Amino acid sequence: MRRSKKLSETIGQILLWAFLIAALLIFSVPFIFMITNSFEEFSYVLPYPPKLLPHRLDFSAYAHILSMDIFPTAVKNSVINTCLTVAASVLISTLSAYGFARIDFPGREAIFKLYLFTLMMPSFLNIIPQFLVLRGIELPWLKNGLIGTRLGLILVYTATNVCGHTFFLRNFFRSLPDSLSESVMLDGGGHGTIFFKVMLPLSTPAVGTMTIFAFQGFWEEYFTAKVLVGANEDMITLPLLLQRLNGQYATRWEWVFAASILALIPVIVLFIVFQKKMVVGGLTQGSVKG
Amino acid sequence: MDTLMTARKKRLKKGAQGWLRALPFILPGLILVAVFVVYPMLFTIRISLSEYKIVQGEITFLGLDNFKNVLAGGSRFWYAYRNNFLYAIVTVPFIILGGMFFAYLINNLKRGQGIFRVGFYLPVITSWVIVSLVFQYMFNNSSRGLINYFLVDVLHVMDDYIPWLLREWSGNAAIWLMGIWKNMGWAMIIYLAGLQGISKELYEAAELDGAGLWKKFVYITVPALRPTTYYVMVNMIIGSFNVFIQVMMLTGGDPNGKTSALQYLLYDRAFNQFEFGEASAIGLISAVTIVAITFLLNRRLKLDDVEKEG
Repeated sequence: MRRSKKLSETIGQILLWAFLIAALLIFSVPFIFMITNSFEEFSYVLPYPPKLLPHRLDFSAYAHILSMDIFPTAVKNSVINTCLTVAASVLISTLSAYGFARIDFPGREAIFKLYLFTLMMPSFLNIIPQFLVLRGIELPWLKNGLIGTRLGLILVYTATNVCGHTFFLRNFFRSLPDSLSESVMLDGGGHGTIFFKVMLPLSTPAVGTMTIFAFQGFWEEYFTAKVLVGANEDMITLPLLLQRLNGQYATRWEWVFAASILALIPVIVLFIVFQKKMVVGGLTQGSVKG
Repeated sequence: MDTLMTARKKRLKKGAQGWLRALPFILPGLILVAVFVVYPMLFTIRISLSEYKIVQGEITFLGLDNFKNVLAGGSRFWYAYRNNFLYAIVTVPFIILGGMFFAYLINNLKRGQGIFRVGFYLPVITSWVIVSLVFQYMFNNSSRGLINYFLVDVLHVMDDYIPWLLREWSGNAAIWLMGIWKNMGWAMIIYLAGLQGISKELYEAAELDGAGLWKKFVYITVPALRPTTYYVMVNMIIGSFNVFIQVMMLTGGDPNGKTSALQYLLYDRAFNQFEFGEASAIGLISAVTIVAITFLLNRRLKLDDVEKEG
């Protein structure tokens, strides 16, 4: 009796595996297609029949992309922009989330509601005024203000993410028990001590999760970069480069796909390394109740 | 009188102290939000009511003309507006059902969950630009596109190659398919987290009654995941009004704006035709729509959001 139950359970697991593998394979068709075609060599016409499965391993497209003069520039910019933005936005949002979660001040709820409200706005409703604000920040050595500069892009990136990140982390800070901060207060510590000694160490999973989501978001950001720094060749980022490759060499798909895969690798690695530690639960926790 | 004064004074003092304590934490965020989010939002409203010449920096008040022009200016706006709603109606159910279904199956695996978590999540972490490039090629008009080749030359279900991305409904379908494919993994990850909150005892009790995987899914999992489903739904519906890159890269709104979407229209008006007033009006119309939808969903589904909790 018990053995037959175990047997049927094993069979169930195997069937489940088989089904999920099949589903995942179908689901992965676009990726397989991309990888396969990055090994192809395209001339002026697309190959017939189109190839789904790789039948040769040819890395010359990758070599070509890596040897392009502009590729290191795009990688450098994407890395610097993403890292600086993530650092700034995580630091600023963690601080302000603590302020909104743990310190009582008049108008707190109103300001927080305003933050929430901005989250509902279409993502690039504000791009035109943002462009104007950046252009209006005049510095003697810049012709167009902060347009076309790294600083300008990072400022806008960071600012547009403060509301969402503050919202996410505030819920987390609220879920921590009061007793922790009270004991610090009793010892004569202020909010600074509570934040750095108690809250920050406890919130590493939440902050970490947010950091990864933020990294991924900024790494692939296209539209804001296109509008704010698109005209400055030195500021090109990977998504901008990909779109340009597509426009310039419409038939050289192997280059486009090879560059796409190269751009994807960092995010995939990051996700695989951290996926077990992510607390996605925090995202829904306390934000929506049924 | 005196006590009232002191009470008020005390309150003021307490308020000021609260601000003093909070400022070091919230000030950097507050400045950035004020300069790059709130001020631009107000400015957008102003531009939407004006004629704005960006080069000269001239701004002339027009009243509601931009809105009138957008709403009356041909069918393009209405196609775009319709398509945003259609996108939400078509993709959101698939994303929710698919995400929930696969999360449930993966959660029932004893070994190897990680492979599927990563596998189904890959499209989410892949940039919209890259995904659009792949779909562009897959939906290529000629026999060279994977979909055409497969349907005509392999399966023989169609006689002729279809220029998918040049026609209204097949173009929209490609945009929808991409949206479903790209977002399902996100829903799955959220559902996987939600599933951790369902107590094992419920399942065990059902098993004693002889319920299989499917019955447990329908009678325990789906109802228990309701809060998660609301969360996914609200997020995805708001997301449906932000559709942009796939439209730009797959169809460019062709034919004649019939596959367009609001954000694409906004982009086109602003950065190709330099009609910033109309572009801002479009942005505001979609903002109002999103706020209204969120409000209705909250009411209908009796969502408690954070404000009530706090």
